[in-house]
Amino acid sequence: MIVVTAAPPFATIQDLGRTGFRDSGVPVSGVADRESALALNALLGNDPNAAMIEWALAGGALQFDRPCTVAIGGADVACTLDGRAVAPYTPLAASAGSQLVVSQIIRGRFLLVAIRGGIDVPVVLGSRSTLMSASIGGLDGRRLKTGDVLPIGNAHAASTQPAHSIEIRGRDLASGDAIHVMRGPQADMFDERTWTTFLNAELVVSRASDRTGYRLEGVEIQHSASAASPSEPTCLGAIQVPNGGAPIVIMNDGPTIGGYPKIAVIRAAHFSRFAQLAPGDRVRFALDEPLN
Amino acid sequence: MRANSGDGIISLPPTEGFPMITRLGETAVLITFSHTISWDIGVRAREAARCIRSRGLDSITDVVPAYTTLAVYFDGTRTSLTSVVNAIAPIIGDHREQHETPSALIEIPVRYEGPDVAEVARLTGLTPEEVIERHSSRTYRAYACGFAPGFAYLGDLDASLVLPRRATPRVRVPPGSVAIAGAQTAVYPLQTPGGWHLLGTAEVAMFDTNRETPSLIRAGDTVRFIRID
Repeated sequence: MIVVTAAPPFATIQDLGRTGFRDSGVPVSGVADRESALALNALLGNDPNAAMIEWALAGGALQFDRPCTVAIGGADVACTLDGRAVAPYTPLAASAGSQLVVSQIIRGRFLLVAIRGGIDVPVVLGSRSTLMSASIGGLDGRRLKTGDVLPIGNAHAASTQPAHSIEIRGRDLASGDAIHVMRGPQADMFDERTWTTFLNAELVVSRASDRTGYRLEGVEIQHSASAASPSEPTCLGAIQVPNGGAPIVIMNDGPTIGGYPKIAVIRAAHFSRFAQLAPGDRVRFALDEPLN
Repeated sequence: MRANSGDGIISLPPTEGFPMITRLGETAVLITFSHTISWDIGVRAREAARCIRSRGLDSITDVVPAYTTLAVYFDGTRTSLTSVVNAIAPIIGDHREQHETPSALIEIPVRYEGPDVAEVARLTGLTPEEVIERHSSRTYRAYACGFAPGFAYLGDLDASLVLPRRATPRVRVPPGSVAIAGAQTAVYPLQTPGGWHLLGTAEVAMFDTNRETPSLIRAGDTVRFIRID
């Protein structure tokens, strides 16, 4: 078991997410930084879909009740295991009673804490991912709180032995490199000047950003779509533009349908890095295909 | 900033007229049947959805009809945008096997004690009793399901009840709230923010993961509200 001895402000259990229920209005959920989650599960010899803790905003602490192998990744953090600083993407041997303490999230939004065997909460609609809006998945469909006890899956069922280290593609959360997008379904409703404005703008991730959507400030975008456009299905990473308003990017727990025109969609290979942007971080977009 | 590398991007050729097949994202396709909402267009989207589902293609993870569109989501590690388009294009173009399947009738018991009944009466010039009577005597149809888990957009509302949304949305609408806005009505399945006018409370779970389909109402269903005291 893992005991949450000091809950961070916002942490949930997530795996790779939920498919097959979008027509009931159920979003995909799952870890926002999929790239890091896959790396950690590979590192620990877990199934790629093993559930882990997605931890945001600030520090906290966990205690393990038995020897186990854990690893952290995603956001850059200051973290210790039994008082010793630990490195990300490295298997850490915890003993019974070991304490993992995160004192600070330095850069990025989501720290991932993975454990060999995965976190064994019940599967709901095919996934262990927490969807707080529907109170399903994870631990009783809610964020973790101090005193929670998380069951650990069978480490022997994990597919392979943990690796000593793993090569993950170098990813610098401080780089400021552009996030690549492709044209969205309503790309044509935005004229060339508007596109130029959008692609030249340095946008700021708003405080009003969470697992449902990230609001981006710093540019007002006009378009020719009528206010009465019928709502249509959305997708992960779609950049919606309310008329004259701040763009909103659909994140993992976002609405399954919506009426705002979608100027662009974040490329899958860039979504994890985008998801790690915290409130106040700056972002630019680059279009990966011709404008017309 | 303009990037040069178009690696892995697949563009679809523009299509003339409807249905229009476009790319929604890297692993999703959007089919647009019209830009104007009508029940018949919704029927076409749902029938196309049914035909696509009946093919049982494993690599297709979700098929989602909405008012005038249909989205098909697929597993990008198992198939490609081009393969999915090639598989679904003949299906959506073929009307022979498309017909409106009889929809389920969902009856929802409602206590009409919502906080906005009096306000709706004032705004419409009706009595509170007339508001309740006109809302509960009508048979509705579900145009779309989505936005939030279990949320279904029902229409059409009696013309005398059509109002804009509240000027200030509520931060918390209690789960089960029966609400109206524009020409639509809906039941809020879960506690969410919301700007619709609240007329009552449904005495049934709108979203339940123990059901085969967690949403009580699916797009295309027929819905009646049964007034209870």
